[in-house]
Amino acid sequence: MFILGFHFPASMGNTIPDQVVVEKLDEELAKVGGIDGINEIKMYMTSRENQKEELSYTKKDTFMFKALVHYAKTAETDYMIYTNRYQIAELSKRLDGDDESMHMCKKFDSMSMFRIVAA
Amino acid sequence: MSALRQIAFYGKGGIGKSTTSQNTLAAMAHYFDKNILIVGCDPKADSTRLILHEKAQSTILQLAAEMGTVEDLELEDACKPGAGIFAPGTPGGWINCTESGGPEPGVGCAGRGVITAINFLEEEGAYEEEGLNFVSYDVLGDVVCGGFAMPIREGKAQEIYIVMSGEMMAMYAANNISKGILKYANTGGVRLAGLICNARMTDREYDLAKELAKDLGTQMIHFVPRNNIVQHAELRRMTVVEYSPKSDQALEYKELARKIIANDMKIIPTPLEMDDLEDLLMKFGLEEEADEENIGKSAEA
Repeated sequence: MFILGFHFPASMGNTIPDQVVVEKLDEELAKVGGIDGINEIKMYMTSRENQKEELSYTKKDTFMFKALVHYAKTAETDYMIYTNRYQIAELSKRLDGDDESMHMCKKFDSMSMFRIVAA
Repeated sequence: MSALRQIAFYGKGGIGKSTTSQNTLAAMAHYFDKNILIVGCDPKADSTRLILHEKAQSTILQLAAEMGTVEDLELEDACKPGAGIFAPGTPGGWINCTESGGPEPGVGCAGRGVITAINFLEEEGAYEEEGLNFVSYDVLGDVVCGGFAMPIREGKAQEIYIVMSGEMMAMYAANNISKGILKYANTGGVRLAGLICNARMTDREYDLAKELAKDLGTQMIHFVPRNNIVQHAELRRMTVVEYSPKSDQALEYKELARKIIANDMKIIPTPLEMDDLEDLLMKFGLEEEADEENIGKSAEA
């Protein structure tokens, strides 16, 4: 099973508890220096109709912030893999719940393309 | 040396199975140095064209017909090395290609081509080539025909990836293929390894595909977003991985390839009853609950 690109062994089944994913994210994020010194995530969204929009996300005490920082620090390019981004939104809806995160989740649920920069 | 893995891509006709499989296998070879044999099991013989840069490869059945019998056929006649970056001796892994072929439309059994091809390849030692990591079958349809079920029936393909989308018929086919896997799981050892959603951009497609995967007891291993670059590459008879290796879409296939290589989730599926499948489609808005008294009435009535 793959969530946020992390591999969870088949012995864990096909429903991985959110807390297990959070623990894995914390563990992997620590390996790349955590969120220290990062105050903002910038994203560039391009819709299917080629409309471009710049987005900023600053809610540091959330699952989404940690997941986006980890993504930005470890991804090969600034392009966000669709599956990972959708899974970030899926988990954030259950774990965060604040307006800023929910606004971002709504954007992530679209078929737009996203590029990400951790500033 | 790691054991040879035999995988198969199944799915409804027209779902983008051959495109998805060739791009994914190309990524496995190019980015992860895997050596692959593709066995196209579709009478259209289009499972290898993007790897070979050709319109359609001569098939095993075609070549056997020209020579008189399959016994007169040599492996090098039917199995061609990939073109460009997939040729042996180039950096990264190599890909060898073969197509089973089939009879003319309306004549004979297409599944026989699959059976003949696999037996021929085994007898000629195609699976014993040094360094071969993966054999991949690209199989038409939804295994209603026993011939097309041959790679799973005989235990040739051990892990099955079903290419589907959020469209109703693609989901029916995915469920049917799961029934086929279940039927042969205990005799041949075949397992379902995951669903690949080749996006059609329908409403809530991700959620729907994920829910179906969960109900089948498996995972949606990757959601491949739609991108025109796939068609641009196809016009040049190339995979995106070769046409534009640094493109966003190539990264999507690279991620899918990475997951397939690392995947250890191989399960006996739990197919849905038709009522449950319809409930699922209704839950995600693909099907309306029909009022008994309106069945058979036109929209204007």
